[in-house]
Amino acid sequence: MKIALIAMSGVRVRTEELAKLGVTLPGFVNRGKVVASLPSLGLLTVAGLTPGEHEVKYIEFDDLPPEGTPLERFDLVGISSFTARINAAYRLADRYRQMVVPVVLGGIHVSLRPDEAEAHADAIVVNGAEGAWPQLLKDFEAGQMKKRYIGATDQVFSPDLYSFPRFDLLKGRPYNRLTVQTSRGCPLNCEFCAASVRITKKFQQKPVELVINEMEAALKVAEHPFFELADDNTFVNKAWGKEFLKAVTPLKLHWFTETDISVADDEELLNLLAKSGCRQILVGLESPDPRALHGMNPNDWKARRQATYLESIRKIQSKGITVNGCFIVGLDTDTPETIKYIKDFVDESELIETQITVSTPFPGTPMWQRMKDAGRLLYSEYNDRCTLFDVNFQPVKMTVDELDQGIQWLFTNLYSEQEFLKRKRRYMDIVKNLEET
Amino acid sequence: MEDLATATELRKLIFELTKADVTQVGPSEDLMDTLGLDSLSGLRLLALVEKKFSVRFQDEELTSLRSIEALVLAILRARSVTAGSKS
Repeated sequence: MKIALIAMSGVRVRTEELAKLGVTLPGFVNRGKVVASLPSLGLLTVAGLTPGEHEVKYIEFDDLPPEGTPLERFDLVGISSFTARINAAYRLADRYRQMVVPVVLGGIHVSLRPDEAEAHADAIVVNGAEGAWPQLLKDFEAGQMKKRYIGATDQVFSPDLYSFPRFDLLKGRPYNRLTVQTSRGCPLNCEFCAASVRITKKFQQKPVELVINEMEAALKVAEHPFFELADDNTFVNKAWGKEFLKAVTPLKLHWFTETDISVADDEELLNLLAKSGCRQILVGLESPDPRALHGMNPNDWKARRQATYLESIRKIQSKGITVNGCFIVGLDTDTPETIKYIKDFVDESELIETQITVSTPFPGTPMWQRMKDAGRLLYSEYNDRCTLFDVNFQPVKMTVDELDQGIQWLFTNLYSEQEFLKRKRRYMDIVKNLEET
Repeated sequence: MEDLATATELRKLIFELTKADVTQVGPSEDLMDTLGLDSLSGLRLLALVEKKFSVRFQDEELTSLRSIEALVLAILRARSVTAGSKS
C-alpha cells in the first residue's frame, strides 16, 4: 500500500501592518525561517508506526498546489497541521477525497476539535498516533476503517506503544534542523497551552537511551544538524535531565529546547547543560507582571516564580546558554502600560533572545472555553488567525486597536537591527568571559 | 604576509571550535553554510576570534563576517584602528 503523510506548514500573519513588519525586522525573520524549516516529528512517528510492507512518502506543503493541478495519487493520505493552517489542510483533504483517495486527519488541532475535522476526513486520529494508527491501517486493509480512532494518552513511550520516528524520510531535505522528542505533556498545564499537554493524561518522559538512539539515527540524515527538542518542558525531572545531559554531551551536538525557569535552581544541571552543546533554552516567562501570571496555572507556579526571573536569567546566561524569553501580550490584566513594561524588563534582564506573541485562545483549550463563555471571541471561526500574532479576542483593559498597536510597537522596538546587534554583542561578551574560552 | 599568518591562525581556531576540515574551505566561502554553523555558533566563533586576536569588531560588521577572507580583513582593520589609537 502506498501512503502519503503530508505536513501542512507555513503560517501567514493576517494583520497587514504586522505582516509588513515581519518581513523587515531581522530578529523576527530569523526565527520565522527556523520554524519553517522544522520537520513534522508527529508524521515521522506515524511513519515509524506503519508496518514495513507499506510504502510511505513524507511530504511538506507550504502552499496548497493550485486548484486544477493534479495531486499525486496514493492508496491512503494522512494529513497533519497546526491550527493556523488547518483550513488549508481541510481543503487538501477535500481535494483528495474528491479523487476518491481516503484521508485520515490527525494532530493536536484535530484532537481538540474532532467534530470539525471529521467533516473533512474518512477517519480522524484523536491524541497521539500511538495505539491508534496501527489498528487504523489493519481496519483500512480489511475495508473496515472507522470514523474515529483514539490514541494513547499514557505510557506512550512504553515498548508496546513507542515507535522510532522515520528520520530516514528526511534524506535530501534542504534544512539541517531536526527534532527529537524527549517528553510529552507539561505539569504546569497553562490555561492557554495548545501543545502536547492537551493530548496526554500526565507528563511522560522518554528513557534516555531511546532519545540518544533517535539522535544517532537522525545524525545519519543531515550534515551538521542542529537539534530542536520537540518538548514543552524538557527539564521537569532534574535527575532525568542530568542523565540525559551526560549521555548527549559525547555526541558533540548543538541543540535547543523549551523548559521552565527552574533550571536555574540547579547549579549542577546548568553546568552539564552548558557542556552538552545546548545553545538556547526557550522559557515561557509570559509576563513580567505577577498579576498577569496569577491563575495561569492550576497551582499558580508561574506567579510564584516571577520574582526569580531576573536572577535566573542572569545565572543561566552566565553559563553561555542563551535564554529566549517568551512574553504573551494581551493577558487579562495587561494595559497599554504593560507593553512598555515588557520592553523595560527585556532591557533590564539582558535576554539574548525574546519572543513576543499575542495571547491566543486556540480553539478547544481552556482559555478558548473561558473566552467563549464570556462572549469575548471576535470571530466564530478563526483557525487561520491563530498565528500567535493576530488578535482574536476582546482584551479586558485595552481595546483591540491598542493591543494591535502595542504589539507593533514592541516588535519595532525589540526586533530592530540595532537591538539585534546589541544582543549579538551581549552574547559574544558572555562567551568571552567563559572560563573555557 | 601578515594576512597569510592571520588566516592560518584563524583556520586553526575554527578547527578547534568546529572540528571540521577547514583546509577544504575556500577563503571567500560562507563559513556558516559550509560548516553548517547555527547563528549562535557563528557568534561564538566571532567571540573567540576577538579574544584570540585581541581585537573588537564593529557591531555593525558582525553580520557580514562570514568568510575567512572577511574575518582576516576585519582583524587587520581592527588591529590598525587599535594601533592608530595608541600612537
